[in-house]
Amino acid sequence: MSKNTLVDVKNLSVHFPVHGGIFSKRVATVKAVDGINFSIDRKQIVGMVGESGCGKTTVGRAMINILRHVAPDVEIGGSIEYHFGDEVVDFARLSSSEVRKYRSRVQMIFQDPYASLNPRMTVAQIISEPLQLHTNMTNKEQTERVGWLLDKVGLQPEQARRYPHEFSGGQRQRVGIARALATNPDLIICDEPVSALDVSIQAQVINLMMDLQDEFDVSYLFIAHDLSVVEHISDKIAVMYLGDMAEYGNAQDVYHQPRHPYSKALLSAVPLPDPSRKNRKRIVLEGDVPTPLNKPSGCAFRTRCPIAQPACAESKPEFKEQAKDHFVACPIVE
Amino acid sequence: MPEQQEISLSILKKRWLKFKTLKRGYYSFVLLVILYILSWFLPLLVNNRALVLSYEDEMYFPIISGYYAGSEFGQDVPGETIYRELQATWESENSENWVIMPIYPYSPFEDITVAGNKMYDPPSNTHWLGTDNTGRDVFARLCYAFNISISFALVLTILNYIIGVIIGGSMGYFGGRFDLFFQRIIEIWSSLPMLFVIIIISSIIRPSFFLLIFIYTIVNWIGMTYLMRAEFYREKSKDYVAAALSMGQTNFKVMFKHILPNAMVPIITFFPFAIVGGISALVSLDYLGFGMPPPTPSWGQMLDVGLQNITKAWMVFAPISALFSTLIMVVFIGEAVREAFDPKVYSRLR
Ligand SMILES: Nc1ncnc2c1ncn2[C@@H]1O[C@H](COP(=O)(O)OP(=O)(O)OP(=O)(O)O)[C@@H](O)[C@H]1O
Ligand code: SF4
Ligand SMILES: [Mg+2]
Repeated sequence: MSKNTLVDVKNLSVHFPVHGGIFSKRVATVKAVDGINFSIDRKQIVGMVGESGCGKTTVGRAMINILRHVAPDVEIGGSIEYHFGDEVVDFARLSSSEVRKYRSRVQMIFQDPYASLNPRMTVAQIISEPLQLHTNMTNKEQTERVGWLLDKVGLQPEQARRYPHEFSGGQRQRVGIARALATNPDLIICDEPVSALDVSIQAQVINLMMDLQDEFDVSYLFIAHDLSVVEHISDKIAVMYLGDMAEYGNAQDVYHQPRHPYSKALLSAVPLPDPSRKNRKRIVLEGDVPTPLNKPSGCAFRTRCPIAQPACAESKPEFKEQAKDHFVACPIVE
Repeated sequence: MPEQQEISLSILKKRWLKFKTLKRGYYSFVLLVILYILSWFLPLLVNNRALVLSYEDEMYFPIISGYYAGSEFGQDVPGETIYRELQATWESENSENWVIMPIYPYSPFEDITVAGNKMYDPPSNTHWLGTDNTGRDVFARLCYAFNISISFALVLTILNYIIGVIIGGSMGYFGGRFDLFFQRIIEIWSSLPMLFVIIIISSIIRPSFFLLIFIYTIVNWIGMTYLMRAEFYREKSKDYVAAALSMGQTNFKVMFKHILPNAMVPIITFFPFAIVGGISALVSLDYLGFGMPPPTPSWGQMLDVGLQNITKAWMVFAPISALFSTLIMVVFIGEAVREAFDPKVYSRLR
């Protein structure tokens, strides 16, 4: 762990109990996240990729401590240690009232720009809400700050009086970005911030986010399901599969020398303009993703892995540093 | 009409503008509001006590100060002054003294014990809608009953809404054991035959306005509670709530500042129908004789005596048409509100 570490996620697991029957007995467990490790440094961008349902959003929500809101009985294991100055706080352990004072340090940009802005509030009200909660600004200062932020994200300050339904998806996402930046956070969790937008707008929004990252010195956990998006912008890449982390390492290493069979399959599906890699073999995965309700024993990927061995069913593969800063959860490829 | 809007409108404001274009509902709304506001000034408009009276160069305000014996103004009657007669006498005598009466100089409580009043007086210039079986003026009673009916329905509905938002909102928002507990209570509660419970209670205790409100609230809170539970449950999982929480907003603020404004649709669209329900509830209880204590003016009681004297058409006709026109206006409002809240543009049955 370097001095620059902002957050250190150790052995994080998130299990949702499933209840059934007349006495609401616990009948099963959704293992949405099942013991993952990674860390984010200051001013770093970590990309997280994986198929739908593999637990990316759950990781992000755990990291801002709002899982208990929708699922009060969720079981969170491991730790999410933030290093704010000299303080070390574990978001996995804090109650929702204890966490409140650190809320301004970690923010989130949501996937769906239509649901993430309250339709009854004007843009000014939406962006000034975090200012009211975390600063002592007067109304006038808040208005100024809102105008300044809107300008930063490429909107006109005059649009502050408008309601979300008067904006396009891309513009709304810009409002969401302005809201997340309002309190100068250390980390922003970007949960597929562009996947709901038109392809033509995606690049604009990503470029904007990169510029702002530079300007505000903020770290991003950038969640996406498309490796090619993540590769360009990330310093590190984490590949998730069914609640486990398959591979984690520097973006170049993971992208150009993937080790885990799942990462390889993901990469082979990325359409590449690069002719030097034209003749790579496309790996098509067989079968469907198993549900996190009933994960396969041992390696979760073994039901679809092209190189699976009988031993893979026995124990969960160790998440091991196979090369420098390159962690892989597969002993077979070591 | 494509128009450039300088200031952008909140959704609610847009709906209000839409509502205003739906003439039938909008005019019913305006008329009902005006009538209801006027009905609070009924003691000044429909009353048997004089507004102002000047007797031997001194001013009296019986409508405020209350009872004056007839003898005080030189009138030879037992008990309270009959101001109408006083006015007639003084006018015919060209006296210095004068009386100003309310526009409609009869009270809803004034019966045959007051000289000059007759039972079953058919409609005329003096008694616009005639008098009833005890000689009380039907028009006066109708007006006062309007105020009571609407007030009853309003207080009942608002109370139910407050309970519904607080309990139902918390059920939906917090979920878990709290939700389960109230769900079971509601299930048990809603299986009780409530009309009988009310009849039993009001045959034991003498009912009053607030007791009836209380009893009906105990029955009616369930409906709004269930609606609000569903609304809050749906809204709480939306990302704007997660965003508010992730910036450190308290649950209380999230519930009332963020979610409640987004849960207004059932609150507003349901309101007119809740009012209809409230009015009808009071009428049926009064009709059965378990409602407001006599001699409170009420449409239900008037309907009851009217039907007992079915040959006196005015006694039946008056409460029925009052009830009918009030309810239909509220229904028009409800229809227009529903229309204004409908996201589809062309869905009106014409
Ligand atoms: N509150 C909850 N209760 C029970 N199960 C849940 C809950 N939230 C998420 N899950 C389950 O956890 C798993 C991971 O969900 P998550 O939303 O994190 O996936 P994701 O990787 O973000 O997928 P997507 O790409 O579709 O956004 C899913 O199987 C989901 O059904
Ligand atoms: S551990 Fe076995 S099944 Fe899992 S990825 Fe490696 S080879 Fe495939
Ligand atoms: Mg997701």
